[in-house]
Amino acid sequence: MEEAKNLVSVFDKLNDLKSLFKFGEKIVPIIQSLVEFMKDIIPLLDTINTSIADSTSKMPIASNQINDVTNATEMATCQILDLVDDISNALASIETALITEKERQEKIELLAQSLNNALEGNTGLQEQLKELLELTKDRRILETVIPLIEAIREDSYKITMALQVQDITAQQLAAVNHLINSVHSKLSLIVADIEKSELNSEMGSSRSNSFDTPDGAHYDANASFTRGEGVQQKVDDLIRENNLRSNS
Amino acid sequence: MKKVILIADDSPTIRKFVSVALTMRGFEVIAASDGMEALEKLPNVKIDLIITDLNMPNLDGFELIKNIRENENYKDVPIIILSSLAGSTEIERGLKTGANSYLVKPFDPKRVQYEVAKYLN
Repeated sequence: MEEAKNLVSVFDKLNDLKSLFKFGEKIVPIIQSLVEFMKDIIPLLDTINTSIADSTSKMPIASNQINDVTNATEMATCQILDLVDDISNALASIETALITEKERQEKIELLAQSLNNALEGNTGLQEQLKELLELTKDRRILETVIPLIEAIREDSYKITMALQVQDITAQQLAAVNHLINSVHSKLSLIVADIEKSELNSEMGSSRSNSFDTPDGAHYDANASFTRGEGVQQKVDDLIRENNLRSNS
Repeated sequence: MKKVILIADDSPTIRKFVSVALTMRGFEVIAASDGMEALEKLPNVKIDLIITDLNMPNLDGFELIKNIRENENYKDVPIIILSSLAGSTEIERGLKTGANSYLVKPFDPKRVQYEVAKYLN
């Protein structure tokens, strides 16, 4: 009785073993595919790794280029502003001279009027005086030129206003630089974790190509260039509505 | 004698804009690239008015205003904030810290001239 029980148990074990072999037969091709897949994927992972390392090493260059752009536009803007300043100064001188001339013309006209009154009855002399006055009369020209100067001055204000776009874009570029800096740091860590030994030298080279942007760069990432007085008007309204006053 | 205005801003172009707008109106403008430099320049010349940015390295605009208001020699000098920040928090904080006016960038040169004249004429 006991022997029969043992035999049944042996057969059960054999059946289990048979199932295991059958399962093995099924699983082996899958494992083989998995190995093949791994063989294929490892070079791909290497490529991705190299690509990330390559991109990471290029980030400081991109960042430095952004800084160069900012410096170049800054320099150009300052040069334009110097010219606008020169134009404004020249305009101020011209305007002063023209106003003086206009006042002189007004005096001549007054004197001519007095003379004309004094020469009442002497038509010949009156005619000559009128002719003389016509020759020296450029008041009308002055009256046209002076408002034109004012218009040019107004335009120079507008140029000043428009050029402030440089400061706004500089702040936005500083924000982009900060983002690049952050991504660079994260990617450097990831690459180093994946393949420390192989990428150590590459990471070293990327680190040596350091950022020029200081860690404490100051910018307003939301800075925007809006024409007109819309934003200032909102600020004025806010101060008025909330009755904000200086504590000084 | 020309009135002297100190502009504190880390942007060279903004320093230039303000300088052009105010020298045009007969003011003398002294520039500082951050709050710290502005504080260093204060004792050198009699400053009649200060225009300051808020976001600046080393010492920001809020700290600069606080330092000025705490100093017996400069506590009454008018201060105008000129910033690209236009949120109510910054405006309120700026005025509560001791600024007299708040202007936003990009600014109208005429408005800056008007605000300066308001305190100096």
